[in-house]
Amino acid sequence: MVNPVHTSFEDVTLTLDGRRIFDGFDLELRERRVGLVGRNGSGKSMLARLAAGLVAPDHGKVRIEGADIFRDRAEAIRLVGILFQNPDHQIIFPTVEEELAFGLTQQGLGRRAARAGATETLAAFGKADWAERPIATLSQGQRHLVCLMAVLAMAPRLVILDEPFAGLDAPTIAQLTRRLGAVEQNLLHASHDLAALADYDRVIWIEAGRILRDGDPGAVLAEYAERMARAGADECSL
Amino acid sequence: MLSLTSPIRTPYHALRASTKLLALCVFTLAVTLSGDPRAVWGAAALVAGLYLAGGLRFAAAGLRMLRPLVFFVAIVALWHGILGEWAEGALVIGKLAAAFGLANLVTMTTRLDDMIALVERVAAPLARLGIEPRLPALSLALVMRFVPVQLQRAAALGEAWRARSRRRPGWRLVTPLALLAIDDAEHVSDALRARGGVRPPASSKG
Repeated sequence: MVNPVHTSFEDVTLTLDGRRIFDGFDLELRERRVGLVGRNGSGKSMLARLAAGLVAPDHGKVRIEGADIFRDRAEAIRLVGILFQNPDHQIIFPTVEEELAFGLTQQGLGRRAARAGATETLAAFGKADWAERPIATLSQGQRHLVCLMAVLAMAPRLVILDEPFAGLDAPTIAQLTRRLGAVEQNLLHASHDLAALADYDRVIWIEAGRILRDGDPGAVLAEYAERMARAGADECSL
Repeated sequence: MLSLTSPIRTPYHALRASTKLLALCVFTLAVTLSGDPRAVWGAAALVAGLYLAGGLRFAAAGLRMLRPLVFFVAIVALWHGILGEWAEGALVIGKLAAAFGLANLVTMTTRLDDMIALVERVAAPLARLGIEPRLPALSLALVMRFVPVQLQRAAALGEAWRARSRRRPGWRLVTPLALLAIDDAEHVSDALRARGGVRPPASSKG
């Protein structure tokens, strides 16, 4: 079992297109698997992007294991990987093996070693025959799996998931969730699929860039589900 | 769909990308400069032989990929037919067939990442001009990856248009498609940054 990773948001302020997303946001994470819930536009995605060091806070710092994750990119690609909602936004290369090998060359491996690493990851997932497949011939669920494998090939300590399974059919979600359950990495998982977070160590509910509830998944998720059902019944809340 | 590398294994797959591209350069130069129809058509026949040596299925796949060439051959034939320069026309068509045939053969038997690595090596001197040598290679990969994606987007937009209109969309989709492409580009830049960016930080820090 890997050690929990320490992630911290220290007095983070972020404004995008004139909209204040976070204002003096503080959060410390030391749990192995953390769920993130909240309505569309609550700041979940932006929190995930800040934690991956993809956006710079206007003020404050986001650190993982003490490293300034936006500035220290060498540490960042060693420590953290992120899975986006849409695999077509994530996959850079035209074939599966190239996509997996890219991250490894980015970490400083030679081309041969990177290719070997990609083959190894594919084999570990039982997908050795996918190596030469063009991304364009893969289904949406298969592309999601490619993204997951590409992230895991780099062996980060924390994997951030930004609603990665939105729009997939139930069997595909079940399969990907099972793959994810077997992963030894720390997870920070933003999702609308509450069942997927039920056995996590901690769930954080954010609304308008603030933490509304934080704690045990049982209590937080139950209250969240109840509140969402009520908001759905209220016709004026859209 | 852009999967140009043939899954049918041939002996040419094992050759080094640099060897193949160098041979292609020399061959194309020679064919282009040659004025002897026998030499040119001999070269075209040689290329045909190379395809056949990879097996009938491989040769058929190669022929399919060369289909767009028919268009150019038709134009050249028409032009020279009008001018009555039959011999000249046959020479040009022979050159086209030989040069494009071999170029296609190299494409079909070379992995894209080998090609990209080669482009990277050739572009290495650009570093002295302050241009990241991985840039041309990475651009090549991104084009291969996102042409099918953009085609899909265009098809989806076309459907969305047709669902609410009796007229064909045509050029009116250009602006929304361009905006979507820009949006995609922003996402890809995120994806690149998430894995270290164009200039990998691991190597700069050692």
